Amino acid sequence: MNSNTIVENLKKEIDNFSLQLKVEKVGQVIEVFDGIAKVSGLSDIKSSEMVTFPNGEVGVALNLEEDAVGVIILGDFSKIKEGDEVKATGKILEIPVGDSILGRVVNAIGAPIDGKGAIKASKTYPIEKVAPGVVTRQSVDQAVATGIKVIDAIIPIGRGQRELIIGDRQTGKTAIAIDAILNQKGQNMICVYVSIGQKDSKLRKLGARLEAGGAMDYTVIVSAGASEAASMSYIAPYAGVSIAEYFMDQGKDVLIIYDDLSKHAVAYREISLLLRRPPGREAYPGDVFYLHSRLLERACRRNAKYGGGSITALPIVETQAGDVSAYIPTNVISITDGQIFLETDLFYKGIRPAVNVGLSVSRVGSSAQIKGMKKVAGTLKLDLAQFRELEAFAQFGSDLDESTKKQLERGKRAVEVLKQLQYSPMKIENQIVTLYALTKGLMDDVSIDKIKEFEQGLIEYSERHAKTFYKEIKESKMWTDKGEVELKKVIGDFKMGFSK
Amino acid sequence: MTTTSNNDIARAIYLMFKDKSSSEQKNISEKVVKFLFRRRLLSKAPDILSRLKKIINNADGRLEVKISSVEALSHQVKTHLEQTLKKRYLVKEVVLKEYIDKKLLGGLKIEVNDEVIDLSIKNKIEKLQEYLIKV
Repeated sequence: MNSNTIVENLKKEIDNFSLQLKVEKVGQVIEVFDGIAKVSGLSDIKSSEMVTFPNGEVGVALNLEEDAVGVIILGDFSKIKEGDEVKATGKILEIPVGDSILGRVVNAIGAPIDGKGAIKASKTYPIEKVAPGVVTRQSVDQAVATGIKVIDAIIPIGRGQRELIIGDRQTGKTAIAIDAILNQKGQNMICVYVSIGQKDSKLRKLGARLEAGGAMDYTVIVSAGASEAASMSYIAPYAGVSIAEYFMDQGKDVLIIYDDLSKHAVAYREISLLLRRPPGREAYPGDVFYLHSRLLERACRRNAKYGGGSITALPIVETQAGDVSAYIPTNVISITDGQIFLETDLFYKGIRPAVNVGLSVSRVGSSAQIKGMKKVAGTLKLDLAQFRELEAFAQFGSDLDESTKKQLERGKRAVEVLKQLQYSPMKIENQIVTLYALTKGLMDDVSIDKIKEFEQGLIEYSERHAKTFYKEIKESKMWTDKGEVELKKVIGDFKMGFSK
Repeated sequence: MTTTSNNDIARAIYLMFKDKSSSEQKNISEKVVKFLFRRRLLSKAPDILSRLKKIINNADGRLEVKISSVEALSHQVKTHLEQTLKKRYLVKEVVLKEYIDKKLLGGLKIEVNDEVIDLSIKNKIEKLQEYLIKV
C-alpha cells in the first residue's frame, strides 16, 4: 500500500466519521490507593458500570455510596491522581470477542498479551450476564472425553457440567485440566483456560505445551497474572466465560477451566476490604458465595430450540493441607455438580493422577457416559470399593481366604491400570478395551509390575485385530455379542504371546 | 454504615437557616461553626459548603453552569445558552460562570453539576482519533 492510498483511505474514513455528541456524566477522583479510586459526582451510575480515566485506563464502579463511588481500576493506577476527571460510559464492562481470538493469549479485558498483534473483534460481550434460564436448558447427556481413564470411567463429565478439581498444591490439578484440553483435539470442542493469579512462568510453560500438542487451534487463554492488580484477577473468570458464551451462542461446545478460584476469592477479598465492605468468615465478604455461584451458573447445556451449545466448567480450587471444609472449598463443592479430589498421599505413592476415587463424585455425568464405558465402569467401581475396604483390613491378618485374596489382587491391578502418565490422553475405545480386560479378570494372572506393559501391548494388538469391536464402539457406543466374542479371543491370543 | 455524610450535614444546616430572620441566622452561624469545630469537621467545611450551595441553588430553582471556551463569549451567545439551559433543566434562573481555556482549541464546554456537554474542537479531535484507531 503506498502513501496515496493510505491518505485516500483516511479521507474516506474521516468522511464516514460522524460525531454524536451526548451529555456525559463525569466525576472527580477524591482518592486513589491500591487499585481503588474514590470518585465524587457520577450521579445515576449503575453498579458494575465501566468508567474511563483521562489516561485511557478503565475502571468498574462497584460501591455506590451517597456522595462517592468506589471504583476498581483495571490496569495501571500509578498515573491516576486526585482531581482527575472520570467519565461514565453508561455500559457494563465489555470485552471484545470474535473467532480470531482462538489460539491467542489475552488479559482480563480482552487485550492480547502474546505479542501476536491486535485481535480483530467482531462483537463485544458484557462480562456480567444473567445465566441462561430453565426453559433454555437441557439435561446433560453428552460426554466430555478427558482421555484420563480414572475420570472417564469413574467420574465421567458431561457437556454442560461443572466439575470441581480440588486438592492441595502440587497434586496435579492443572495437569488434569491440561490433559483434558489436549484430548479435545477433533472432538468439536472450544477450550478456554482462565489463569487467575498464576506465575507467568507457569503460563508460559503451559502455553508452550498446548502449542506443541496442537491444542492452541481451538483454545483461548485468559490470563490475570500474579503481578497484575487484584481487580484483573477478579474480572478474569467473567471475561473467560463471556468468551465461552460467544462460542456457545454459535451452537458450539466449550470447555472452560478456571485455574484457580481460591486465588479469585482472595483477589475479591482484597478488593472488598479495600472498598471497606464488612468482612465475614475468613475475612471474605458476605457475597463470596454469590461471586462463584453466578460465575458457575453460566455453565450450561442449551437446548436446540435456543441454539444448542454448551459450556462445561472445570473450576480448580486449592486446599490447604487437605482441608476441604474451609470456606471456599465447601462453597464451590456445593455449587458444582461433583468434584475430583486429588490427594498428596496418593501422589507420593506413585498413583498419578492422584484421584481419590472414594471421595470424588460426578453427580450428573453418569447419564452422559457412553454405554460401553458404563458397562465396564460399573464393575470397576465395585472392585475398587471392595479393595479399599479390604486393604486396610488385610494389613493385620496374613491368613486370608481365597476370594479375599482374589479381590485384593484385582484391586491392586485396577489401581495400576488407572495410573496414567501426564500428557498421554487415551482414546475412549482403548480405555474400554483395557477396562474390559481388567474387570473380566483377564489381567488377574499378569504380575503387577507388568500391567503397564501388558496394557500397552494389548491396546496395540487389539487395535489391529479386534476391528469389529472397535467399529461397534465408535458407531453405536456399545458392543454386541459378536464384538465381545472377538475381543475375548483377541485378548486370549495376545496373552499367549505375552510373557507374564 | 451510620456515619453522617457531608450531604446530611449540609442539608441540616440549610433546614436550620430556612425561614429565619437575619439576627437568628447570625446566631445559628456561630452555633454551626462551633458544632463543626467540636466534631472536628472543619477540615470538611469546603465540601460541606459546596454541597450547601447546591442545596440552596436547587431549592431556589437556580442552576450554576460552568462554561469554558477559548475566547470570551458574546452577549448574544450567552442569552441563547441561558434560554436553552433553562428549558433543558427546567429551572428559573441560570448562573453562567465563564472560564477561558486555550486548550480547548475552539468551541464550548458546558458543565452542569456532574454532566458535561463537550462541544470543543479538542473533544472532537479526540473522538476522531479513537474512531480512526478502531477502524
